[in-house]
Amino acid sequence: MDRADVGALVQSAVDGDAAAWKALVEGLSPLVWSVVRSHRLSEADAHEVYQTAWFRFAQHLGRIREPEKAGSWLASTARHECLKVLKSLRRLTPTDDPQLLDRVSEDRTPEQSILDLEEAAAETERIRRVWQEFEELGDRCRQLLRVLMSSPPPSYQEVSVALGIAVGSIGPLRQRCLRRLRARLEARGAV
Amino acid sequence: MSGIGGEGTFEGGDAFAGEDPDLDLLEEELRRAATILDPVPPELRQIAVEAFALHDLDAQIAELTFDSVVDAIPVRGATDVPRMLTFHAGGVTVDVELTVQGLMGQVLPPQTAGIEVLSGPVSGSPLETDALGRFTYDRPLAGPFALRLRTGEGVLVTDWLTA
Repeated sequence: MDRADVGALVQSAVDGDAAAWKALVEGLSPLVWSVVRSHRLSEADAHEVYQTAWFRFAQHLGRIREPEKAGSWLASTARHECLKVLKSLRRLTPTDDPQLLDRVSEDRTPEQSILDLEEAAAETERIRRVWQEFEELGDRCRQLLRVLMSSPPPSYQEVSVALGIAVGSIGPLRQRCLRRLRARLEARGAV
Repeated sequence: MSGIGGEGTFEGGDAFAGEDPDLDLLEEELRRAATILDPVPPELRQIAVEAFALHDLDAQIAELTFDSVVDAIPVRGATDVPRMLTFHAGGVTVDVELTVQGLMGQVLPPQTAGIEVLSGPVSGSPLETDALGRFTYDRPLAGPFALRLRTGEGVLVTDWLTA
């Protein structure tokens, strides 16, 4: 979302405008969800962290110092909650936690989602392959790309706080990860 | 690359546009894939919309100042260790111990206070402390929670946490 818009929407929401709040939810939910997904929590934990981030945001709304950076505020909050959940899981369960191995959206299979699409068959096949190869990438690339593919595209600042990496390293890492993904697709003859 | 330094444009297509347009296209394909295959669950979006009700400028926020998940050294071999939390607002401290059975806590300095355990935008379960400020809640907590306290100093709400 455009940062000037975000700042204005936050201000309106502080003044009690529910429509402005709704617009913030619509515009920034994919970012929060992407940050949560990039940390590979279980389905239940992912849902809880998403909610905690929004509840905190609502609670702190009138006290946020830089309203135009609300996206970064939410991304950072989501990251910290994800790390806490992962840390407490590790402490309570010394062995591999099966929850951590959960895959994306169990309630709606990729096949079903694709059927919903009114796209040409070749294109949906392409998207399925891109997603499949993305999921096979190493942790670091998968994490970065999952945040980058948020819609609308996130800013440098948002990606930086979402993942705890320096702003300056995002560009080079992004290139490397996308090149790696492309190489995988080429190797499968899917380009 | 443009926009190095954290102040890159927020229209991220520009923010990350590199010298290789094919990679930009690939990122765009990933974005479409995520929108289709891993979207924000609609029920979560709805909960976030309803969370506007939590916006309350009259309540003071009791900030989390200690969380054993982050700040304590784990006891070796110990499992099911209660999670210890401390919140501060003005002159009031709230200590909370979170267990699988529920939570116990104390308001300091000792005082009677009305407490609500919140789990979302709808109103929570009311509790009263005893004269020493102690309180107990006997239901397991799952998901996000916060405490709303009515004390002599006014209304406090703790930071939201994930149980």
